[in-house]
Amino acid sequence: MEQRSEARREQLMGRLRNVYESLGYTRFSMRRFEEYALYLENKSFLKSESVLTFTNPDGKLMALKPDVTLSIVKHARRERRGVEKVYYKESVYRLASTGGEFVEIDQMGVEALGAIDRYTVGEVVRLAIESLRAVGGAYVLDISHMGFVSGLMEAAGLTPEKKERFFDLIRRKSAHELAAAVAAENVSQPYAGYIVMLAELSGAFPAVLARAQAIAVCDGMRNALCELAALYDLLSSVGLSDCLQLDFSMINDLDYYNGIVFQGYVQGAPRVVLSGGRYDHLMRRFDKEGDGIGFALYLDELTRVLADKPAWDADVLALYRETDDPAKVNAAVFALAAQGLRILAASERPADVKAEKTMVFTGETFEEGTRDA
Amino acid sequence: MLNIALPKGRLGDKVYKLFSACGYDCSAMERDDRRLVLRDEDGRVQYLLVKPSDVPIYVEHGAADVGVVGKDVLLEGGNDVYELMDLGFGVCHMCVAAPVGFREDLGAPLRVATKYPAIARRHYAGKSREIEVIKLNGSIELAPILGLSDVIVDIVETGSTLRQNHLEIIETILPISARLIANKAAMKFKSGEINPLITALRGCMQEEEKA
Repeated sequence: MEQRSEARREQLMGRLRNVYESLGYTRFSMRRFEEYALYLENKSFLKSESVLTFTNPDGKLMALKPDVTLSIVKHARRERRGVEKVYYKESVYRLASTGGEFVEIDQMGVEALGAIDRYTVGEVVRLAIESLRAVGGAYVLDISHMGFVSGLMEAAGLTPEKKERFFDLIRRKSAHELAAAVAAENVSQPYAGYIVMLAELSGAFPAVLARAQAIAVCDGMRNALCELAALYDLLSSVGLSDCLQLDFSMINDLDYYNGIVFQGYVQGAPRVVLSGGRYDHLMRRFDKEGDGIGFALYLDELTRVLADKPAWDADVLALYRETDDPAKVNAAVFALAAQGLRILAASERPADVKAEKTMVFTGETFEEGTRDA
Repeated sequence: MLNIALPKGRLGDKVYKLFSACGYDCSAMERDDRRLVLRDEDGRVQYLLVKPSDVPIYVEHGAADVGVVGKDVLLEGGNDVYELMDLGFGVCHMCVAAPVGFREDLGAPLRVATKYPAIARRHYAGKSREIEVIKLNGSIELAPILGLSDVIVDIVETGSTLRQNHLEIIETILPISARLIANKAAMKFKSGEINPLITALRGCMQEEEKA
């Protein structure tokens, strides 16, 4: 049966909540706003820099939250034992991806804080895959490891400004401009060639992993690849590796992220719909013990995927007469609805409603036909 | 099927020639009609003919999987797309030009007429120079002649339009050429179609270089 995107989004959120809760993640809810300073200090962590602000009565500049992870980490206890697992379903406020105006966006996500081990990384990545799968249709999870990229930059001895310039070109997969930039900065070989390779080091997991192994020049890079290989093995053993792709051109901000990072795509949505990764550096910035990993699902990006424009407003237009016994009509309407049909009961045909078929009340039940005929 | 956004006009004709030489030909393109969506008979490619400055928009929103567009448009629009290749044609430069003999008054904001306000702002912000941007849509060279602006920021191919209007280049901002761009999600789901296109284009370009 066809449904509108809103109903399907609710359904998706319900299903995800069950998945997250069944693995011991508890709901984390929070205020709608934070002090603006939080976002000002962590601008580069945000998906977009535009924040909706207002002044509260004592003159403090506040912001409607554009992001949830910062709030969760900020308000988390400083000390913890083991791993704290939370999920959230919150509204966030940011510029629409089509630009122009601020919009309220439903966002769901998962965060694990504390002693993150390989099991926990695998669990969170699997939850990300399950979240994409729940949307329905084909999906891809792009994976990378920040240690691989930062290891290469360190080995090449690059300054932070140069790194940022190169990162920008790598993210755009602009190998031609990267080659020119690397040459202009006199980066020594073989690092120059390796940096240019990052832009195109993407595709099927095992093949790209093998190509990456050939350019691992330091322990940091080798450890990153070991971790990626272990994650791949874990996910293949549970039959979930088909959707995985490696893409070293995906680079998150090194001030926050380290380790595994990932982005999800679903068929029919032109942009990233899920994004996450390991953010131990973010935990340090907020002076919290332990490490962190999590992801967010951008439900606004799924609107088009979830909208399969129904051809009909209702499956059945159920027509009764005002003279019919309301109790009998009531029983017959609810009996039809119990069969899983969308019923619109009316005493007169509404002007702007398209129903797949029309049924008429015959005194006991509804029968197919039209009253006017 | 691969959806390819091409800029209408001269650049688009050149791009189509390159693509058809690489095996991405489409007989419908060779008939000169006014259709904007042209599909190959075997359904392998579909060309969309759009205004040059709209190419990255079609690609970013996924209406086209790949597209070809000048670097000037990419820099101005700042669209979130992959920039996969420099196709090496449509070569020109983004320049600052002024009337011959122009002397800059550093005590006042510089008035800049341009089709590219974002590029102009970024360029002068990098030098901490205050400017007033006057956004025009064509015949930019006219602005300094009439005193509408001090200088212009525009693309310059041969410089003959500038010379004829008594203008000269005072600064080159960066080189421009045609780029192959791709939608990020299409790169994941249609890499089996996009990667062969890149390989074919590289092959064609290498042969051209040899010739």
